[in-house]
Amino acid sequence: MNRKRFLSSFVAAGLPVAGFPSFFLKNEDDAPAPIVPRYLKPGDTIGITCPAGTITPEEIQPAMVQMIEWGFNIKVGETVGKKDFTFGGTDEERARDFQQMIDDPKVKAIMCARGGYGFVRIIDKIDFTKLVTKPKWIIGFSDVTVLHAHLNRNFGIASIHSKMCNSFPGDWNLAEPIQIETILSIKQALTGQKMKYTVPANLQNKQGSAEGVLIGGNLKMIETLAGTKSDIRTTNKILFVEDTGEYLYSIDRMFWNLKRTGKLEKLAGLIVGGFKVKPDDPGEEFGRSVQDIVLEKVKNYRYPVCFDFPVGHQKNNYALKCGARHRLVVAAGEVTLKEV
Amino acid sequence: MVKIPPYLQPGNTIGLVCAAGFMAMEKVQTCIDVLQQWGYKVKVGATVGSASTTYFSGTDEERLNDFQQLLDDDSVHAVLCARGGYGVSRIIDRISFKKFKKQPKWIIGFSDITLLHAHIYSNYGISTLHAPMAGAFNDEGYKNEFVKSLKNALEGKKIRYECKEHAFNKKGEAVGELVGGNLALLAHIIGTPSDIKTKGRILFLEDVGEYLYNIDRMLHQLKRSGKLEKLAGLIVGAFTDNKDTERPFGQNAYEIINNIVKEYDYPVCFGFPVSHEKENYALKVGAGYKLKVGKSKVILEE
Repeated sequence: MNRKRFLSSFVAAGLPVAGFPSFFLKNEDDAPAPIVPRYLKPGDTIGITCPAGTITPEEIQPAMVQMIEWGFNIKVGETVGKKDFTFGGTDEERARDFQQMIDDPKVKAIMCARGGYGFVRIIDKIDFTKLVTKPKWIIGFSDVTVLHAHLNRNFGIASIHSKMCNSFPGDWNLAEPIQIETILSIKQALTGQKMKYTVPANLQNKQGSAEGVLIGGNLKMIETLAGTKSDIRTTNKILFVEDTGEYLYSIDRMFWNLKRTGKLEKLAGLIVGGFKVKPDDPGEEFGRSVQDIVLEKVKNYRYPVCFDFPVGHQKNNYALKCGARHRLVVAAGEVTLKEV
Repeated sequence: MVKIPPYLQPGNTIGLVCAAGFMAMEKVQTCIDVLQQWGYKVKVGATVGSASTTYFSGTDEERLNDFQQLLDDDSVHAVLCARGGYGVSRIIDRISFKKFKKQPKWIIGFSDITLLHAHIYSNYGISTLHAPMAGAFNDEGYKNEFVKSLKNALEGKKIRYECKEHAFNKKGEAVGELVGGNLALLAHIIGTPSDIKTKGRILFLEDVGEYLYNIDRMLHQLKRSGKLEKLAGLIVGAFTDNKDTERPFGQNAYEIINNIVKEYDYPVCFGFPVSHEKENYALKVGAGYKLKVGKSKVILEE
């Protein structure tokens, strides 16, 4: 709950604000109030940049074609086509490209071309001053979780967790419906439609409803941000997590990290997305499923928990607005996540 | 000032426990035999060579109880974790250190056991032993200087190790308490109640089987959480069996570490014999050490 909202709810209830002890007036975890960047209109420009892994100009073609068809202009960053081993250019090149996308007033949204690894190497070189004065949408997931976390922790600026350039179908006519739907969800998020997803319930879900700011992303990234100035704060928030290519023991260890760093205790709700598990080595069978791992950690908490939410390194990876307030309803038959 | 548990006397008892992964009895037997040859009695915990069929040596309760019992048993003078693997994270917050705090004893192991070293040092200021475990005794390993360094450490002989220079070494001298262990575990505990403070201390790191990009990411986490800036010195052990992505990362583990710490002035040495391989000297976590990184050799002494 942000400070203003908290205050106004008291005012609305006719309670004398002045009489409250000062700690009541403070958000419990000191998180900045949510700031939602301006939504895009036709003719606006989307910048494409590579803060992490490398990508070729050919590989971003389908995304460019599609976003132009949506009515946007595209500014291709200098890191597209750059390659420094796995990176889309050197740290300096990637930081500079991202910086100029932030600083260019014509660019209204920034799409990270792909994830991979590398954002953490440049995040502290980036000057967010202009983003804070003129927030714009930043789009991506996986390694880009670093940025979602950093923006939420430090500035409260909402951002879009979604597929990136490397997931746009090469031929829209041959694309599967799920590809089209998920890509269109990016457009919906960017143009200001309220997000609402309803999905079938998993039998292991913990029912309930919650409202709070949505944060999250890749679990490994969230773990490796612990103790840094990009570390997320989770009190009263709805946390979503996903991951890929991790052993079950490692997933277990990461959930212990969430728990032991105090990130699970005061959540409003927990959304577990896709977990592509790396098979156990022979003789090293972990013997617990992802659901077992999660439920064990949250068994003493009463907030709603849902599994198999369509977010992750998979085809059904829908756009989510990190940093925006959402309502999560985990019911017997279905789960609804709705922007409020 | 860190508390040093009593060194062992002939006839003292070492408790063996599997606090994390499963280990078959035949792989522990040599260790038991050799510890007895060294003049100690051995108390084998229920989790060692257990009937467990899972990844773990027992359920969380079984591992917790076994460890707790050896920790609290007055007739046990040191607790040797037979192996690492994964699992201390699952029980650490349920271990009671109440009695141990008053009557410290040596806790021995590495890898996953890094969590115990960090937790005990941070919360209780008691020294522990980062050292070879049961597996290292096998295949005549007990004859090598590394397993023998555990014997020397337990007997209270002052530790002094030497190793060769390395092109990336940064010369200098540092004095401070020694902290560290497995990089993945040290990163994993950042922000938790087991997290270590590193300011003014000598940090040592090792790891096994990690992707190079992940080593880079973990080092950035240490850096961004302020753990590298104010070190007295840094000891880089071996990073073995590293994995790489399809597109090569382009730097090896030592280049990654060197690139991240080169801006600091404290002494740094690479290739120190602390690792998941045979080369793994016993180190007293929390104890005061002097690190001398010279032109032709590196000396680490208590």
